[in-house]
Amino acid sequence: MADLWSLIILDPMINGMLALSSVLPRETQFGLAIIILTVVVRLLSTPLVLRQLKSTKAMQDMQPKLQEMQKKYGKNKQKLQQEMMKVYKEAGVNPVGCMWPMLVQFPIWIALYQSIMKALATTPENLLDLSRHLYAWETVNQAIPVNNHFLWLNLGQPDHTMILAILVGGTMWLQQKMTTAPSIDPKQQSTSKMMLFMMPLMFGMFTLMFPSGLPLFWLASNVIGIATQYFVTGGWGYLKPPSSAHSLLVRGR
Amino acid sequence: MKVRILAFLSIFCFLALSISGCMSSAKPQGYSGVTSHDGILYLGSVDGKIMAVNPSARNQGLSFPSSNGEWSLPITTPSKSILSCGSSSTPVSIYGTPVAVGDLICIGTYSGKVLMINPSARNQDLPFPHMRSGEWIYPRTDDTIGPIVGSPVVVNDTICVCSSDGRVYALDITYGDEKWISAPLGDKLWTTPVVKEETVYVSTFDGHIYALSAKNGDLLSWVFEAATGFVSSPVLYEDTVFVGALDRKLYAVKIGDNKPLWEFLGDNWFWAAPVVDDGIVYAGCLDGKVYALNTERGKELWQFDAGGRIVSSPILVGDSLVVVTEPGNVFVVNLKTGSGEGIKNTDDSQKGKPLIDARIQSSFCALDSIVYIRAQDNCLYSVDVAKRELKLKFPLA
Repeated sequence: MADLWSLIILDPMINGMLALSSVLPRETQFGLAIIILTVVVRLLSTPLVLRQLKSTKAMQDMQPKLQEMQKKYGKNKQKLQQEMMKVYKEAGVNPVGCMWPMLVQFPIWIALYQSIMKALATTPENLLDLSRHLYAWETVNQAIPVNNHFLWLNLGQPDHTMILAILVGGTMWLQQKMTTAPSIDPKQQSTSKMMLFMMPLMFGMFTLMFPSGLPLFWLASNVIGIATQYFVTGGWGYLKPPSSAHSLLVRGR
Repeated sequence: MKVRILAFLSIFCFLALSISGCMSSAKPQGYSGVTSHDGILYLGSVDGKIMAVNPSARNQGLSFPSSNGEWSLPITTPSKSILSCGSSSTPVSIYGTPVAVGDLICIGTYSGKVLMINPSARNQDLPFPHMRSGEWIYPRTDDTIGPIVGSPVVVNDTICVCSSDGRVYALDITYGDEKWISAPLGDKLWTTPVVKEETVYVSTFDGHIYALSAKNGDLLSWVFEAATGFVSSPVLYEDTVFVGALDRKLYAVKIGDNKPLWEFLGDNWFWAAPVVDDGIVYAGCLDGKVYALNTERGKELWQFDAGGRIVSSPILVGDSLVVVTEPGNVFVVNLKTGSGEGIKNTDDSQKGKPLIDARIQSSFCALDSIVYIRAQDNCLYSVDVAKRELKLKFPLA
């Protein structure tokens, strides 16, 4: 299974990244390669992302209706389920449909950050391991060892200046805030609030622990995500409640 | 909502597991080699100890450390994790092979320290470093130089060691005082330098071979520049440097020349430093083969397929070449014909498995016909190449 994963996904990604970095200016070589590859992967997965965003938006638009049903059939769970399914069917929405595109993209993201970690080869063991994944292309072999320096970062070391951690956490919060619909239900509201802060906080902490190459990929990914949200959903989404979000809820009713 | 939370949690767990997988692979483990001096084996363990092992005491099954010259010295470094609270220390990683300097032992650690150890002081369990016994640590303060991966080399009364900060450090043998520090030579130096007369030769990841004055560390006029980086430590034979590169080639470079004498292409990197003897280079490659090449023209005399990546440099034992593969197979190869014989497991329950059931990435040594190998399972193995059998497995933890 590990061999298949390497053969189909990981090795092409590592070699692609190294080949790309070999044609970039030496000073910013690997940092730029990470950003470009993140953009390329994002572009390739655009159809999936669009599908996911549409499903999510459709689900969000249905929220007021569903909440009303919850109030109406709250005690009769079976009836509630039946009514909800009916509403989903009428709207042509699959309740778990918004998750499949996300799950399909996940292996690609894992491969991308695995290839970043492997290509950085921060320890002798990592460099030795990298030799297993390389093609016999001259450009690939000439790109090693990659230039770890990008802007103020050493991509092979964690960034302890906090700048990257703040950027990663901040952009992640922004992206989530744009998509998280404010809820009328206090329970749901507190859950959403917790999610909104937990993820950025955790990834901010991860940034302080991991070689900066990985958080740079998170940052690039977040920025592209924000841009996609902005252009697909047409604006800042739920970033500017209460009026816009409220109007959405009202419109839903 | 429940579905979403469950999905979120499952994805998060998946992500966390993947991240932790990446993290563990990024942790340096170390692959210190074994050296022998006065019948005692010196090596670094996976758990950060420098150890002296007496083969005779191990064969007798005495408890470790016996009074027969055995000791172990744990080396730790303060924990730097931002999430750790309070003061804590972690064992260092050791990559280099200890080097005998008279009666003392010298080694560099991945934590960026060079240690001079007196086996006699260790036998008495004196606090380390015991200055009166000639022991020292460089740097003496809490400072460190960059991680050290290669082994130290001795030039007259000086120890030279390469560091990941891209510099070569020259230290006084007696006190560990700094004699000189070279200019930065590359991004990181993970190799062992080589010395001839008063010159230190260093190969770098960015494809240079530099010549430094052993007296003051000044760069000498000759610099060799290749199109690709060098991955193995250089080996000097007569006036030629032999070194493996990242373009899958083994280079032979005559000192003073700007072009290589010859290049030999393998199917992967020549990670291990080659062995040169009697006009023949024996080079182990990550493609699983050992190549015997003529030193003058690089003509292939024979090749032996060991069937597994060769990370450790082969060694000469009598008229044979002993080759150890990363998966743990040990071969005895005839120097003239290149025909080899794998040492098989005599234990029926281990049949079909490699002789040593652990990864082998470190350099190994021989005492008479016994080869001593430290594997990544933190055990020391002894293999009798004359009798073609595994003799001993000694856990170092």
